[in-house]
Amino acid sequence: MADVMNVGVNLEAFSQAINAIQALRSSVTRVFDSLKDGMKNKETLEGREKAFITEFQDNLQSVNRDLKSTWFRNNLKVVINIPPTLKSSSPHPVPSINTLLNITKNSESLCVRLVQVSLGKVLKAIVVMRSLFIDRTIVRGFNENIYSEDGKLDIWSKSQYQVFQKVTDHATTALLHYQLPQMPDVVVRSFMTWLRSYIKLFQSPCQRCGRFLQDGLPPTWRDFRTLEAFHDTCRM
Amino acid sequence: MGVTCVCQVPVTEGKSVQQTVDVLHKKLEQLGAVKQGSFCVDCETYHATGNVTGQPTKLLYVMHNSETPLSCHALFEGGPCLTADGNFDVLMLKLKSHFQNAKGHKVECRGSRYRYCDFLIKVGTVTMSSSGRGISVEVEYCPCVVPGDCWNLMKEFMQTFLGSSVPELPSVFATKPEGLYAPADCVDTMNQYLELFNKLRKLQAPGSNVR
Ligand SMILES: [Zn+2]
Repeated sequence: MADVMNVGVNLEAFSQAINAIQALRSSVTRVFDSLKDGMKNKETLEGREKAFITEFQDNLQSVNRDLKSTWFRNNLKVVINIPPTLKSSSPHPVPSINTLLNITKNSESLCVRLVQVSLGKVLKAIVVMRSLFIDRTIVRGFNENIYSEDGKLDIWSKSQYQVFQKVTDHATTALLHYQLPQMPDVVVRSFMTWLRSYIKLFQSPCQRCGRFLQDGLPPTWRDFRTLEAFHDTCRM
Repeated sequence: MGVTCVCQVPVTEGKSVQQTVDVLHKKLEQLGAVKQGSFCVDCETYHATGNVTGQPTKLLYVMHNSETPLSCHALFEGGPCLTADGNFDVLMLKLKSHFQNAKGHKVECRGSRYRYCDFLIKVGTVTMSSSGRGISVEVEYCPCVVPGDCWNLMKEFMQTFLGSSVPELPSVFATKPEGLYAPADCVDTMNQYLELFNKLRKLQAPGSNVR
């Protein structure tokens, strides 16, 4: 543990980050204080409004400034200490401290990247990468939006179709299955190969029952090894 | 918009149109489908006037679908089609000298809309000048856009409530220049309704074995 602290966390940067967060908190508090106080007494109604709006704008600007500086300062590496109890009871494999140590030693930044994957005219997936690791993934239909109204990739809304909600669930399971902390590149390759097998999502009958539909859904499960198609309820 | 298939369901022998429709509704409900409102598709026929003598008059069909309530679809017989907003109907009135409304040719298809998993099912009765002509079933598989990808899956689904009257692959998909793998769109659905309406118009005189 001591090793992690020495290698991973730059204490100077850490204290700067805390200062930045404190500044942000107080500027946000100022916004709400000024809203709570409302318009202060001035000679004319117009004067009151004007002063109030100017103050509000100033406050928002400082929030913006402090927020930016927080992002800047937070570019430091923080190692999260996972309690041993959580590690043994959690069904999700948690990256070991050793892995985290490796990342910090190699001083790769923990930045988040969004990778957009289109699979023919079948589906679109957004893969959220944290450094070299796949964090999570969301799958939607070919005719669904992957951008939110503000033009950014929408990484939260689930698909409106049950079939892609299922595929998203299975993809999450696949990410845990292919977890190989020492070889993130192998993980990405295995996961993408697995995901590619959905190109025949609507064309492959179930390898167990031979039918296309089970409760209105096509075979949404793909075997991790053979990539064969099964209904969720038909997999062994 | 997914892949749709519109087909005609024959009236069961010894039963009325309404009784046959009721049986279809019951089958869908037994399957687990949930009723979600109603639907309507209509079609007006226009003759293009003032064409060169000796040439057959071309027909123009103007259609509406409650699924896309703000749009209006205009389909030229055997030719191009366009999708416009609702004002298109007003434009047709202004074009009276070029396109004459074939009175008494108005076709309507109304019925219930069901949702089952990612499928949308519409069971309708087709009426022409207020006489019932037949039963339509539209099945849409919403998550898929490519007919060639999901046709077998759709056929399996339709078998569960249509039995032996499962239709062939709609010809609108097969005759596209890009083939079965071109994405489907709403005009494909309107073309299928139009084909069904024309078939029903020829099939029987009003009141023969309906009702
Ligand atoms: Zn199965």
